[in-house]
Amino acid sequence: MEVRADLVEAHRASIHHVGSPGACLTATQRIRLSEIARDAYVEAEPSPPWVRRYPAAAENLAYRLARHAGTFSVDLYDRAIAEGMSALVWVEVVGVVIATVPVVAFARAVGSDLAPFPVADGRSTTGRVAPDLVDATLNWVPVAAPADRTAAVVQALSALPDEWDNLWRLAAAQYMSDRQMNDPAWTRGTLSRPQMELVAGRISKLRECFY
Amino acid sequence: MLSWSGQTSGAPVDLTSIVTGEGTGGVPFGAELLAFTDAIADWDDEELAEARERLRSTAGESFMVDAAAVAANFEMMTRVADGTGARFDDKTREARAGLTRTLHVDHWESAR
Repeated sequence: MEVRADLVEAHRASIHHVGSPGACLTATQRIRLSEIARDAYVEAEPSPPWVRRYPAAAENLAYRLARHAGTFSVDLYDRAIAEGMSALVWVEVVGVVIATVPVVAFARAVGSDLAPFPVADGRSTTGRVAPDLVDATLNWVPVAAPADRTAAVVQALSALPDEWDNLWRLAAAQYMSDRQMNDPAWTRGTLSRPQMELVAGRISKLRECFY
Repeated sequence: MLSWSGQTSGAPVDLTSIVTGEGTGGVPFGAELLAFTDAIADWDDEELAEARERLRSTAGESFMVDAAAVAANFEMMTRVADGTGARFDDKTREARAGLTRTLHVDHWESAR
């Protein structure tokens, strides 16, 4: 089976990104979260969303987001922050999960094997955070200033530039880039735009994503 | 992610098919696409293999691969939205009120 080179590269880069040091989490921690997300996504008999099956809050967050994303609410976020998780760690966990799930989902969808996960790259963190963080009204999480000038999903991971970059690199290869999105006639020559929207809308519906 | 994706095409898709998973959505290979999408979102590997093969044999391998990529993208974007508490501004919320009713989505946990 032939897969577009840009898509193969985006997925390879995403898994490499997972295995690299993050702003707040080490590569070892990130790979652990990624493995939890991978296993949660394909697990035949998942735990209910309210069960805390791992010792660390970040691990439970990764599991729940990978398998039960539609159960997230602001109460869940507020509780995690009240119990000591930093908002930036929350954002980074989201970044690791969304770097993992589409790669796993795609491999499963087309019936191919998943490439092995990388070996952790050291114990350091990068500390790379957007220079000016502010609270947003369109997201629970802090974002890069200025807030709320773009759509909530666009600013969602902007606090952590490396997570933001990976998200939009994936989106461009899997779906379309910003520039392509602005051209209603653009297609890859396979699915038409309405066919793409049928798939996108149905997945969103099945995942109970209000946004 | 329903309205965000729909804004990008300017072309109408039958929302009833998005809600029910039935019909064709008014697009070629719509029934095969819906079956493939539903199988991706479910966890039955046998059902997925059948739906994959049905789409591949009717629309072609590249088409099936790109459909899988779009599905993977929205497995990602839904988690970005849910995981960061993405919300609409007031103007957008008013504009999509009809869509929200049509899709029966305002009772979902992620809407809170």
